[in-house]
Amino acid sequence: MGESKNWYLICYDIRDPKRWRQVYKQLEGYGERLQFSIFRCRLTPREREKLRWQLEKVLTEEDDLLIVGLCNQCIERVRACNRSGAWPVSEQNFKIF
Amino acid sequence: MEQTVASAETETLRVNSLHAFAYCQRLFYLEEVEELYTQNESVFAGRRLHAELQKLEREDWQEFNLESVALGLRGRVDALRTLEGHLIPYEHKIGRCYRDRQQQPQAWHSDRVQILAYACLLETVLGVTVPEGRIHYHRDNVTVRVPVDEAGRQLVRDTIEQARQLRASLERPPVCRNERLCLNCSLAPVCLPEEARLARDPEHLPLRLFPRDDEREIIHVTAGKALIRRAGEQLRIAIDDEPEQKLPIQQVGQIVIHKFAQITTPAIHLCAYQDVGVHFISSGGRYIGSIDNRKGSIQRRIRQYQALTNPDQCLRLAQLLVNCRGQSQRRLLLRAQRNRQDALPALQEITTQMEQLLDTISHTDSLEALRGIEGHLAALYFSGLPYLIGDQVPEKLHFNGRNRRPPQDRFNALLSFGYGMLLKDVMNAILTVGLEPAFGFYHQPRTQAPPLALDLMEIFRVPLVDMVVIASINRMQWNFDECFEVCRDHVWLSDDGRRKFIQLYEARKGEMWKHPVTNYSLTYRRLLELEVRLLEKEWCGEAGLFGKLILR
Ligand code: SF4
Repeated sequence: MGESKNWYLICYDIRDPKRWRQVYKQLEGYGERLQFSIFRCRLTPREREKLRWQLEKVLTEEDDLLIVGLCNQCIERVRACNRSGAWPVSEQNFKIF
Repeated sequence: MEQTVASAETETLRVNSLHAFAYCQRLFYLEEVEELYTQNESVFAGRRLHAELQKLEREDWQEFNLESVALGLRGRVDALRTLEGHLIPYEHKIGRCYRDRQQQPQAWHSDRVQILAYACLLETVLGVTVPEGRIHYHRDNVTVRVPVDEAGRQLVRDTIEQARQLRASLERPPVCRNERLCLNCSLAPVCLPEEARLARDPEHLPLRLFPRDDEREIIHVTAGKALIRRAGEQLRIAIDDEPEQKLPIQQVGQIVIHKFAQITTPAIHLCAYQDVGVHFISSGGRYIGSIDNRKGSIQRRIRQYQALTNPDQCLRLAQLLVNCRGQSQRRLLLRAQRNRQDALPALQEITTQMEQLLDTISHTDSLEALRGIEGHLAALYFSGLPYLIGDQVPEKLHFNGRNRRPPQDRFNALLSFGYGMLLKDVMNAILTVGLEPAFGFYHQPRTQAPPLALDLMEIFRVPLVDMVVIASINRMQWNFDECFEVCRDHVWLSDDGRRKFIQLYEARKGEMWKHPVTNYSLTYRRLLELEVRLLEKEWCGEAGLFGKLILR
């Protein structure tokens, strides 16, 4: 299901608090925060490029950004190496509250 | 309408739209006239490139917004350099250049038109002569120089003239000849070029340019006391004292509010801005309505009105519809015959009668006659449904004929709730495509629900609701005390039952289905939208693909 979506780990180092907040807010629109400056997002190629574009408008030369694409095997290894629940995977395309 | 045509004639064209025109006339028309914009990954990659370049060249980067009414153009030049006293416009492209026979780098035709247009715009507005323009292709890192000569200027003037004429026309141009252009076209999922080629040539083997599945989630809020609010780029859902649930807005496709959950105005704004459907379902499971934020696409609706005021067109589409649903109903009963030897004669009798009725559909000459047939088919189908319920199922969940408003037994309560969900999804698809739900071809415009939505629902009733209900009952997934609320002769789903149904229904929508005509697979979720787009093609000269979703 939804085979065109992939997991990405997005890490950043931003010198200026104002830009940091902007980037943080943008990323909240795409995925969930794992640690202080690390997000995980499940994205289609289109969403990934849209996000890269939006971030590029905010970032400057002195900032760092690292986007790591994870394949299914990577995900399994992430889960194997961590405490349970560190990387929950739900492939459902709906949620019920 | 007069007014829009008049202003369209005088309004200047964007240089980018001229680029689209030179790429594919249909692309130009879909964007400029039908106001359809979609962005694929390369569109965003291109924008990122510009954001990066802007930073690299912070000092001498200038953007020029130029407009010339005399020329009929407006646009923003990427970059402008002065070389030996001459102004040179630059354009940056993320992809590769075109290679000629000698493998020499050249500009693609549409890029060439674009840079020439910028040159002409500069010349007209600034009163200078621009000797050449340059295009840098980043993927292979080459710069192509495009000389500006009289032939080039004439090309720009001619293209503007042709584009203006096309903009004033009511005819959507056919798909382009060169199929490779479509592979890179961001509008392919809404233009459906491969399907158009298939409609013209039944031998054509279409590629699937339509996404296989939706990328965004459907969020059902069934808790009555929930509050949905906006927090930055997220929606947050609070239920009682539990911690708020966070939903990144880019991952949300629909919000479905069951009962009386609250949603704040900022949250609605965010949804509207991000094209997230917002739908309301009553506590009784009825579809109440949706937030309709369709913008533009007026042309498509004008064409819909024109087509659907033609009685012959309506009759033809209605025949397709009644046939589609009737065939699926019959197939479902036929499937049951295999496992129910005891009921064989009864079922055989019913399906034979249905077959005879189905054969008469193409001879009907009025919608009234068709309604008669449909009523008859439905009665036969519902008389056959009880045979589909397994022996193990307790009496209370059996089916003894269709009733609704309000449903009087559990089976009917499930059907009614399912049809409410389906109506909501069909509405979502109609709004996404930009058609007018209140203007249909078969149902009378007198019930509360919009006729076009009721029309389209017919196609999906059997696969998305009837089959889900029957299968779940046979699998004994319902607990009749916990899942239902009974009040004298009214029955509806309890909170528990509602959640269970949503689960089953959404899971079904996620299943893959191979389209019988186009021959590629996609999820039912996606098929809903595809079917609306195929319907629209029926009156745009690309008919023949609508109403073919028949159960095998
Ligand atoms: S998909 Fe093909 S036919 Fe349709 S607009 Fe794009 S290039 Fe033109």
